[in-house]
Amino acid sequence: MNDVRARVWVTRTVLVGFVVLSLQMTIATEIRVFGVVIQIVLAFVVAAGAASGPGEGAKAGFVLGLMYDLASGLPLGSTAMSMTFGGYAAGWGRRYRLEPTWWMLAALAAIGAAVGEVFVPVIRVLTGETGVFGARIAIVLPVVALSAAILSPVLIPIARWALAIRPAEVRVTDADT
Amino acid sequence: MATYSPGRRRVVIALALTSLFLLTLDLRGNQVLDGVRSGFGIVYRPINRAGEVVSAPAVRLWRSFQEFDDLEEENRQLRAEIDAQRSAEISAQNAIIENQDLLALAGLESLASYGSVTGRLVGQSPTNFDQQVEIDRGALHGIRVGMAAINEAGLVGKVTSVAPQSSIIMLVTDPSYAVPVKILAPKDEVAIAATSTTVISVADSDDTAVATNEANGEEATEGIVETTTTMVEIIRETGVLRGQGSDRLPRVSFIAPATAFGQIEVGDPVFTAGGSTSLAPPNIPLGRVLNVITRAGTAGQELEIEPTADLDRLQFVRVVLYQPASEVGQ
Repeated sequence: MNDVRARVWVTRTVLVGFVVLSLQMTIATEIRVFGVVIQIVLAFVVAAGAASGPGEGAKAGFVLGLMYDLASGLPLGSTAMSMTFGGYAAGWGRRYRLEPTWWMLAALAAIGAAVGEVFVPVIRVLTGETGVFGARIAIVLPVVALSAAILSPVLIPIARWALAIRPAEVRVTDADT
Repeated sequence: MATYSPGRRRVVIALALTSLFLLTLDLRGNQVLDGVRSGFGIVYRPINRAGEVVSAPAVRLWRSFQEFDDLEEENRQLRAEIDAQRSAEISAQNAIIENQDLLALAGLESLASYGSVTGRLVGQSPTNFDQQVEIDRGALHGIRVGMAAINEAGLVGKVTSVAPQSSIIMLVTDPSYAVPVKILAPKDEVAIAATSTTVISVADSDDTAVATNEANGEEATEGIVETTTTMVEIIRETGVLRGQGSDRLPRVSFIAPATAFGQIEVGDPVFTAGGSTSLAPPNIPLGRVLNVITRAGTAGQELEIEPTADLDRLQFVRVVLYQPASEVGQ
């Protein structure tokens, strides 16, 4: 059963990943808010984290981050690592509440997106790049976090489908029977 | 069911370490990863193309909403600028031809000596920390990693990644970009510095030319006075230009406060220096000095350069098929 679920998970995540990646590369790079590129892939990853928990969020972040690196020509693993941390951070809040309200999920998505985005320049610095930390990050972080929060009501149901997550009450009923 | 457990922490650590491992492999250069990247590009390209088609109306709507006023104003300014530059263009064309003839006579290479491939921009960097663009020409068209990318105005960047049908170009504003450059004296100064007067004496039966330099104060003898202007560029200084990010201008460092050929001034033109190890060929215009920053102690001067190419409005980019001597054969 776990193998089947894992296969469904990977297939759906990669499929949705291609779609959000395509949106990222086309519409998001053109429609900039205060000059900032909205991170749709990261928003999906943190939505997955907020919807399912830190482990699933981290795994989704890793897979989609690798796809992002492959598509954009960035060093392989750089975005995967930052999105792993972003997905993990978004799912972190789930330990306090099993089924959060929509605005709690949006807040978790915003926190996760800010963590994921801040790790991008951190990893760049670790790989020897200079000049990536500037005053611009003060604009980038709020815009990326806010956009992830706004997109979360749309992306969370998609993430639930992609990660094959069932609602909490169904899980409880299953467990009882 | 707990949503957090030490097991999940282990998963995250494992994923982070895997990312680090891949990152290390990729940065050191790995053919397997290059193959994976190339394969992914083949699969992803049609999906991206479909995304472009689907998102095109939304993008156009956004652009028309965002840029209409700016474009109208810019259009008005450009019309005025075109009128002013029409006459300058004619003399500039003449100068270019002369320059190419002279370079050919002297056996020197110019930008026109190299082949080039023109590509259309098909994508921009999806991140907030890189200044990169993607063009629709790649290895199949002769493009190699490191080649310089230019447009009509000057240097745009360099090729950092090549797929069979596409390439990624790092712009000169990217923090990772660096290129050796030379700062030249303005054009008028070049002309004055290289003007000499020759007096050909009529009295000489054998038509021997007697050169007299006006600068020495010597009186010209009777005869035919001929003034020759040789275009000799005066390099004030050389240095390394580095990108500083999208919100800051590129800077040239390693500049001595006093140079042999006069002080560097605002407005001085900046060109690529070329050389056996530079990836860009010499004499590609890059920009003008906008600010001269004097730093304390022995740090020397730093120059802020305003690129001549408008990197925000790129549509087509020409990749110069030039590889320096150090790269050829590798």
